[in-house]
Amino acid sequence: MPAGDKWVDKNAGPVVRPYALTGGRTQPVSGTVLDLIAVLVASTWDQGFDDVALSPEHRRILGLCRAPVTVADVASTLALPVGVVRVLLADLIGEGRITVLAQRPAGEQPSAALLKEVLHGLRAL
Amino acid sequence: MGSAPSDSTAGVPLAAFKILIAGGFGAGKTTLVGAISEVRPLHTEESLTRASVGTDDLTGVGNKTTTTVAMDFGRLTMGTHLVLYLFGTPGQERFWFMWDELSYGALGAVVLADTRRLVDCFPSVDYFEKRGLPFIVAINCFDGAPTYDPEDVRVALDLDPRVPAVLCDARKRDSVKQILITLVEHVLASRIEEKEDSTEEESGGTEFPFQAAPVPDAAPDPAVSQA
Repeated sequence: MPAGDKWVDKNAGPVVRPYALTGGRTQPVSGTVLDLIAVLVASTWDQGFDDVALSPEHRRILGLCRAPVTVADVASTLALPVGVVRVLLADLIGEGRITVLAQRPAGEQPSAALLKEVLHGLRAL
Repeated sequence: MGSAPSDSTAGVPLAAFKILIAGGFGAGKTTLVGAISEVRPLHTEESLTRASVGTDDLTGVGNKTTTTVAMDFGRLTMGTHLVLYLFGTPGQERFWFMWDELSYGALGAVVLADTRRLVDCFPSVDYFEKRGLPFIVAINCFDGAPTYDPEDVRVALDLDPRVPAVLCDARKRDSVKQILITLVEHVLASRIEEKEDSTEEESGGTEFPFQAAPVPDAAPDPAVSQA
């Protein structure tokens, strides 16, 4: 799209409908839903962010995941809806390109020791 | 995931926590998040059938099957491996289902109260009480708003005596920091109480059955690809 196109400005929203990026899929392949603060990291052996067989969005996600990030970080940085990001992430996890470092099992709360660490961290801010 | 790559993480797991910031429309949620961290936008696409039954006038947009729910969040890094996420809950009641996802696994919540419209925070208080999620009430001191004794607000909201109610200025970093400290202290205190209670009744710790939560349905209908 040429810059300054008078018909489509930023307020028009994305030109490509969000779920077009997932090929119309709205559910992650794995069927499990990643929490917003699940921590992800790209497998260190993977150089997939240069892999032309992957979609640009997959590659951008892999690039972001070179350091540990959360689902919310990825969605916000790429300005994509969380649902879309979850579908794309599940593809990469399924292929072993991304590892989920920490996703707390249902109902499990952080330990008192970890809470105290948070408290110290807050006080030191 | 036993063999997580260790080069980039140096063996220190990144521990992420989430705290919800709730309260009525205009209570200062985004201001509070922005006072202590960079505010980042986050959006989701939700199917209209879930998000807005009886709320949105669909005349003339009959083909519209999804709507965007926009939220703000803040990110606070503490030390080398602790990250605290502050999520402002979507204000409208039609986005309750988003609250289920946000409160899953959350550390606790801050209910921001505006004394001029105290009634606006009733739904949040009710929600967290029902969910069993520890929360505190922070009374945002707006310029020109009548100031109340936190105890009066506590009575007005019919709060459990153990739930802290504190005054704050959502624009000031130190004030927000103090709110977060109060919340984490409250979470720790309620953890200890829970332990004492659970000696009598067995606590399963499965209050948030995530797989059964409405999240998987939260994605739009496949029909959206036609749009």
